[in-house]
Amino acid sequence: MTKPSNSDPAPDKLQILVQEGLFYQPQSPKEKPYLIGSRCSLCGYVSFPKLMVCPCCVQINTMEEMHITGKGKIDTFSVCYAALPGFQAPSIQGYINLEEGARIWSLITGVEPSDESLKIGMDVELVIGKLREDAEGNEIISYQFKPVKTDRKG
Amino acid sequence: MRDVVIVGVGMTRFGKFLERSLPDLGREAIWKAVGDANIPPKDIQIAYVANSIGYQLTELKGTIGQHVLAAAGFFGIPIINVENACSSGSTALRSACLEVASGNFDVALALGVEKLFCDNTARSSEAMASGTPYAKFGFMFPALYSMNLKKWMEKYGITQRQFAKVAVKNSKNGALNPNAQFRKPLSIDDVLNSRVIAYPLTLYMCSTMGDGAAAAIVCTRDKARKYTTKPLVEVAACELVSGTVTIPNQPHEPLEARAARLAYQKAGVGPEDVDVAEVHDGMAPAELMLYEELGLCREGEGGRMIDEGLTEITGKIPVNPSGGLAAKGHPVGATGLAQIAEIVWQLRGEAGERQVNDPKVGLTENAGGWVIDDNAACAVTILKK
Ligand SMILES: [Zn+2]
Repeated sequence: MTKPSNSDPAPDKLQILVQEGLFYQPQSPKEKPYLIGSRCSLCGYVSFPKLMVCPCCVQINTMEEMHITGKGKIDTFSVCYAALPGFQAPSIQGYINLEEGARIWSLITGVEPSDESLKIGMDVELVIGKLREDAEGNEIISYQFKPVKTDRKG
Repeated sequence: MRDVVIVGVGMTRFGKFLERSLPDLGREAIWKAVGDANIPPKDIQIAYVANSIGYQLTELKGTIGQHVLAAAGFFGIPIINVENACSSGSTALRSACLEVASGNFDVALALGVEKLFCDNTARSSEAMASGTPYAKFGFMFPALYSMNLKKWMEKYGITQRQFAKVAVKNSKNGALNPNAQFRKPLSIDDVLNSRVIAYPLTLYMCSTMGDGAAAAIVCTRDKARKYTTKPLVEVAACELVSGTVTIPNQPHEPLEARAARLAYQKAGVGPEDVDVAEVHDGMAPAELMLYEELGLCREGEGGRMIDEGLTEITGKIPVNPSGGLAAKGHPVGATGLAQIAEIVWQLRGEAGERQVNDPKVGLTENAGGWVIDDNAACAVTILKK
């Protein structure tokens, strides 16, 4: 599955989404990325990825698709020095409390992978970008979160 | 429902056996259990066979149980293949017990068999991570553990050194176990100075790949008395649960605690009655959390348990006398039944150098897989002499 890219794709290398239907990748600088989740119209439970049945209400036709803007705070994180074949180590893995109310797992990017780079409660935002390269050099594109840049020093 | 007893157990040594196949490992465990039970093999009426990753890493792409049983000389009986990630072995035992308890059959076999080593370690690692659809995003179990642990350490003042003590205790126990994959006792410094995987986890706190098989034969009490003069071990409870989702602002009972609560209820015993336990320490610190989740101590007292040596073989409530997953080895589908074999040996007084002092009630806890934000499955089994 290929997508045109707003970064510089290497010649004859593809950008491949890690999974279809999970997030929207901006096609121009004017657009914003979002995650594709769902919200229960009865109880308000928010899920990402999207669920067809609410785990609280367990009724049919209560979950509605929802675009999650991708603003949140770090709930917890860990610097991991082990990785599966094809993935970079170290990585920062974490759980993000989204503004919309869900708590989701994500890789955290945009900072040095060390315990000092991040703080619990720090503001983070969604980025869609390269997760890794596959054996053929194609870019696997996924969702990640990065700290929000602030004007404050330190 | 009828009482169910374990009449025989057997296991291979756990380790790296590149030259051995799944059927070869399975055959050894089955025939050891048959010998232990002193049972005519043709009396076994049904078999449940646990395996998690063989489909990906070996040439057997289906009906592994039938292939393994054929290698052991068993044909014609019903054979059911069981997959529940790391808790596959206990899941197989539970089903075998229900066959006997319900009166459907009198004698049933539960086998767990797994081969994780192959000529390509990267392929083995990928296969082991394939129990979740999240691996493709870079999701790593140790990091997940690490996050939970850091919160827990902060809440109760638990230290990395206390986690290391668990790995030290279990390595010491593993050194006494001829079936263990790793038989070298480690010091606290060995554990703390080994490679950091994800703070507070270091390499020697984590279980790794292994090959092996373990089996248990269950039957009615009357039948068992005809086969063997050894002490009979009753399966007083074998309770299986799946994970749940965390709902914001609602209490979330860990699935280990939920499985344990159901098992205590069914067996009519409480945590204070447990004399020995084998628990799923995929990473050493999990053992400290399990002391609390299984009710072996009060909330926040896990660290004190290890500091005071209460879970050593000579302690008040020995935990993982076999060496646990890190020292004994963790061939995924075989792990649950190896825990059962250890408790049976302990209750019979046959555990050799690692024998605990005259236990009457034993417990195993065996969890595995990951779905959304909880383990996929967890089984707690209570055995009584
Ligand atoms: Zn709902």
